[in-house]
Amino acid sequence: MEIRREQLKIDPKKCTACHQCTTACSIMHYGVDDPNFSRIKILQFENKDFNVPIICMACENPICIDVCPMNTRVRKSNGTIVTDTETCIGCKACLYICPVGSPVENPLTGQSMTCDMCEDDPEGPWCVKACHEHGALTICEIDAQITQVARQQAGRMRRIFS
Amino acid sequence: MKIVIIGNGIAGNQVAFTLIQQESRNEICIISAENVPEYDPCSLPYFLGGDVEKNAIFRKKIEDYDHHNIELIFNNKVVGIDPEAKHVTTDKGLQINYDKLVLAHGGELFIPPIEGIDNQGVFSCKQLFETEKLNSHQGRCAVVIGSGAIGIEAAEALKKKGYEVYIIELLDWILPTLFDEPTAKRLEAAMERYGINVCTGEKVLKIKGEDRVKGVVTDQREIECDTVVVATGVIPGTKLAETAGIKTGRGILVNEFMQTNVPDIYACGDCVETIDASTGETAIFQLKHNALEQGKIVAKNISGKQTIYLGAHAFARTNFFKTHAASFGKTLQGSKCLSGKSKVFEREKGGDYLRVILLDGKIIGGQAIGKYADTIGLLISAMRRKDDINQLRCNWKNIVRSDLTYLLPQLRLGHIFGL
Repeated sequence: MEIRREQLKIDPKKCTACHQCTTACSIMHYGVDDPNFSRIKILQFENKDFNVPIICMACENPICIDVCPMNTRVRKSNGTIVTDTETCIGCKACLYICPVGSPVENPLTGQSMTCDMCEDDPEGPWCVKACHEHGALTICEIDAQITQVARQQAGRMRRIFS
Repeated sequence: MKIVIIGNGIAGNQVAFTLIQQESRNEICIISAENVPEYDPCSLPYFLGGDVEKNAIFRKKIEDYDHHNIELIFNNKVVGIDPEAKHVTTDKGLQINYDKLVLAHGGELFIPPIEGIDNQGVFSCKQLFETEKLNSHQGRCAVVIGSGAIGIEAAEALKKKGYEVYIIELLDWILPTLFDEPTAKRLEAAMERYGINVCTGEKVLKIKGEDRVKGVVTDQREIECDTVVVATGVIPGTKLAETAGIKTGRGILVNEFMQTNVPDIYACGDCVETIDASTGETAIFQLKHNALEQGKIVAKNISGKQTIYLGAHAFARTNFFKTHAASFGKTLQGSKCLSGKSKVFEREKGGDYLRVILLDGKIIGGQAIGKYADTIGLLISAMRRKDDINQLRCNWKNIVRSDLTYLLPQLRLGHIFGL
């Protein structure tokens, strides 16, 4: 199975927390404009000059796959890791274990959901289109360098906020 | 390279189909004692109860095997392995050579030596053909011997079919390996409400009847019935492995790469003895998710990617009528052998019940009924990450004050513990 190595990249400095992406995400997947149905969450900091859009990072060794008691977290051919809604029992193990805090609970079914890069849409993720003005969400090829930079940034963030 | 897989169950198929994903140059051959493609044994009681169609229990179709060029040999039970000549022999006299062999033949039903156990009307519910026989059997009163997950679900299925159902358990409460007494007693009460008669602490002495089942005699009563379902458990199949000189304990012994002590022979699934990932002790977990993971590990190791298996995880849930119950990790009974101070945390609200077992402040197991079972994953993850509940208690004020999204699940965990 060849895995396409493409991923969403976030830029907290450019994010203005306008919530266009959450709107786009919930409309794309569920046809409703409701932030509770969005797979993106935005962590807002009122007294700082950036906001962090939180999405699934599709880790190399995803702990959500390990922890899921029903083996419902699976990696798709486009590199994303999604919940199989047929077998998910909504136990919320992935919500708890995720180091990023990205899985979102579906308010209707209680199952978890994460970014699937809008795999049904050939034109690419809707949130990226919604964010083209600000450019806080973009698509990038995964390579070692980017992963390293992302890890360094994540480490710094953790030190600041926890 | 020719890879021969013994057993067409969950683990065997996982090995085959993971190998295909990795590389397609291998020649794969699955030897099955049955004559159907892979099915889900966990779904058999649902099929029996009429909840799902027969087609729905199959996980694969014959075409799936053809499509990937997997050779499938039906109705052949492997009886001998020759590791020197590298071939296996089946009961039909077939001889198959291998480069790598995977033992995934699972377990054998444990049939207790009770008088009359061979009578007509005695069934098991582990394999498809047995379940089909039970399904076509006409009866009105059934006795289920043993109250493991299969026994409980079979009892429910038979109740739905209109039988009068009795469950007989030798130990003091039902589902003894999954639940502690208080949880099990609540489930028992729920089952009684649905009209299933639960008899615990009873021993079956005899099955009455000349050749057809007429009744069951226990040490406390006599029940007239026409159907008996034996659900007394599955023991790992080790006889085959012994023919090749493979070391066995309670199950087939494997190292962290899922290899046996004989080169080029791997084992996975119900037939192996593994370690408990959270405590490190040897244990046997005959659960589907462990079989799937072990299958993946075997496939990776065969294709040259060395991967270590970290151990099995206990997680099981049952869903009978409308009561949802789940259990993970150790029970209080099972934690008695561990050193440390164990503590039990209990919560009850209406019919919902939660029981968490803590060892030195860390979660090592839990059981839940009803609404609490829906969020049991929070506890499973906390156990996996070895989060300290006392620490959570200390940091509670900071967690509540901050609005960081990755702390939200911890907030929910705190609510479960009533902080």
